[in-house]
Amino acid sequence: MWLSFLTPDLFASAIRMATPLALAAIGGTICERSGVVNIALEGMMLVGAFFGVVVTLATGNVWLGVVAAIVAGVLLSAIHAFASVTLRMDQVVSGTALNILALGLTGFLMEVIYGHPGATNGIAHKIGPVFNFPTGGTGVLATIWSWVDQIVFSYTPIVYVAIIIAIVAQWAMYRTRWGLRLRALGEHPRAADTVGVRVQAGRYVAVLISGALGGLAGANLTLEQVGVFSDNMTSGRGFIALAANIFGRWTPVGSYLASLLFGFAEAIEIRMQSFQQGNQIPVQFFLMLPYVLVVIVLAGFMGRAVGPAAIGKPYEKE
Amino acid sequence: MPVLELREITKVFPGVRANDRVSLVLERGEIVALLGENGAGKSTLMNVVYGLLAPDGGEILVDGKPVRIRTPREAIDLGIGMVHQHFMLVQTLTVTENIIMGHEPSRFGVIDFATARAKVRELSLRYGLKVDPGARVADLSVGMQQRVEILKALYQGARILILDEPTAVLSPQEVGELFGVVRSLVTEGLSVVLITHKLDEVMGAADRVVVMRDGRVVGETTPAKTDQVGLARMMVGRDVVLTVERTPARPGETVLEVRDLVVLDERRLEALKGVGLTVHAGEIVGIAGVDGNGQTQLVEAIVGLKRPQSGSISLRDKDITHAAPRATIHAGVSHVPEDRQRRGLVLEFDLAENLILGDQRDAPYARAGIMRTRVIDEAARKRIGDYDVRTPSIRVLAGNLSGGNQQKLVLAREMGRDPDLLVAAQPTRGLDVGAIEFVHRRILTERDGGKAVLLVSMELEEIMSLSDRILVMYEGRIAAEFAAGEADAERIGFFMTGGSKKDHAPAPQAGTAVAGGGGL
Repeated sequence: MWLSFLTPDLFASAIRMATPLALAAIGGTICERSGVVNIALEGMMLVGAFFGVVVTLATGNVWLGVVAAIVAGVLLSAIHAFASVTLRMDQVVSGTALNILALGLTGFLMEVIYGHPGATNGIAHKIGPVFNFPTGGTGVLATIWSWVDQIVFSYTPIVYVAIIIAIVAQWAMYRTRWGLRLRALGEHPRAADTVGVRVQAGRYVAVLISGALGGLAGANLTLEQVGVFSDNMTSGRGFIALAANIFGRWTPVGSYLASLLFGFAEAIEIRMQSFQQGNQIPVQFFLMLPYVLVVIVLAGFMGRAVGPAAIGKPYEKE
Repeated sequence: MPVLELREITKVFPGVRANDRVSLVLERGEIVALLGENGAGKSTLMNVVYGLLAPDGGEILVDGKPVRIRTPREAIDLGIGMVHQHFMLVQTLTVTENIIMGHEPSRFGVIDFATARAKVRELSLRYGLKVDPGARVADLSVGMQQRVEILKALYQGARILILDEPTAVLSPQEVGELFGVVRSLVTEGLSVVLITHKLDEVMGAADRVVVMRDGRVVGETTPAKTDQVGLARMMVGRDVVLTVERTPARPGETVLEVRDLVVLDERRLEALKGVGLTVHAGEIVGIAGVDGNGQTQLVEAIVGLKRPQSGSISLRDKDITHAAPRATIHAGVSHVPEDRQRRGLVLEFDLAENLILGDQRDAPYARAGIMRTRVIDEAARKRIGDYDVRTPSIRVLAGNLSGGNQQKLVLAREMGRDPDLLVAAQPTRGLDVGAIEFVHRRILTERDGGKAVLLVSMELEEIMSLSDRILVMYEGRIAAEFAAGEADAERIGFFMTGGSKKDHAPAPQAGTAVAGGGGL
């Protein structure tokens, strides 16, 4: 059983499952580094996933769907930015409100547009893998090649994009002017202000980027993985992404790697479900596993995480 | 032509005229001290110059040209740099990152760190501000961080440097170094505004002094034309006794005895590494030291706010090592905490309520769990009179009092309990000259009344003028002990900065370095 369990496919599945988490987590990292708490990642993923499907169905073009997902995420995050940066609202309250708004909005529009609750119509064609190398044949080499193909070349575009974003964001955070100022904003915004860095503008940009990445994460869920939007389909992934961001110690690459861990848990969960025919363990038990892992990792494994010093504090000039 | 001229600057906050037609002139290559008590409007004025506050009236001229400064960026572009009292440094970033932020050498947004480091090194050499460009700011001492702040201003091209209370956090040696640096900046053609309320700094460092009181300029002079007493009179508006008059102590029996005390800080590192000390009745023992060398943990352990790892604390032979604050109060320990707003008072409570904190369960203030308002108010009125707390009524909230009156309130409560031991941490921090005088006299009165007093202060002056014995703390140990009048600031400062570890002391005749700090 274990041999048929630990297949290359499991690892590929882990990377696929990690992708939406990683995108949202990196968005969370950027947002929180600027000093704004973002627990609305869940909502941003949800509207991205939904509007991706809606626009794809309406236009027949899945790429327009991806763009729509990003725009939807950005718009939702703009509300968060306005509330927490301009109005200096409590950022957790704003984030919670947006999550509820996203859930209600998608559920409501789904019924209005498609006339039935629970799920949208399915899109005709999901986004396919980038590469399509021939596999097959026999022998050791062919087997190895099929593994390589599965683990390296089997993915849809956003999966690769997520890896690129992790690396580029990491580089940008530590090597560019934008990154330096971003890190300062979340630690000591007044210090940044006194040398002429515009605190509020910087925070807006960071929050909007997190919205874009959250939307893209949603697009990956519906347009690449599932092909249909169902009610509350993110089911807590935004919060797992938030945990991945913390576990990754507020760095983009760290967020990606942490997401990979949670993605792996999700891949195992899916695999276990298919193995469970005939035994008595209820399916909910497996569904629970990634979340249990989050709790174990955050509570037990990593020790105390020290986030940006000024996180959650609205900035006010003297 | 002056590099900076302020004409009739006015800044109004709701209910207060923080600056009332303030004018000031700064010439090239000059150090002007802006002297005044807390709340006199010095920092407000400089925040206006630095673009952090918008003035309600008046004019600012830089190099003779009228300018409008709306943001710090505009101030920087005009060559104005400011080192704030609370450093504007990002702790998690490196020295270089902090210095270049806002003016990063970069191409297409990518920072050229090699150039940045080279520039920082060059500036640091030119002005004698030694600092490691790659170090994380969080790992630097306070004095070092201040250098980074000055370098930051220089990097941004400051010709006018505003230093806001720069010595508040420094050891005497660091103060000396700082003023050395300031001198060299001035010879290089910079102009410096030094905001301070310390008279000795003004006398030692400034070319000219502008004195502010209640938002107005009340006088201008030079150190040559006046002395500290004259400056104090201008600053406060009345005669002030600067030196505390004290009689020799007549120590009685041992009240507090601390042995081999080890206390961990919040990072679980040893903040106290085996401290021993005794305080006798009728004696003031002063703890000198740079902030963060274990003084806070020592105080917290004695008053029961922190659990010692090992060692013992006893009060009149009664063990209070593990006593909770409530038990230590009952045992006869009173505590004037270093942060009166966070620990000394409940700012949302009125004066009467604040005055019985800690005694609220006990007679005569409570009976069977019910507060006796009449008794409480009566006691409150009496104490407020005794301690000269200026307030219209005992129903005023503590948060609405001035700092000096808040501190008097804390003293009134803690001393009113008639303790055996008074632990006073930074009792005059942030107070003006008049209030400091009051607090000092009060502490001496307690001593003369036979109380044991443990005084912790960053202000060496205060320690030296009040203490009968002085202990110097360095890195969690007692590094040296001096009798009153035995040591000068320089010798104490030497041990405050870890001097005992080096080969020789500057003047070996006085003072005993206590090896390991254990047995006193």
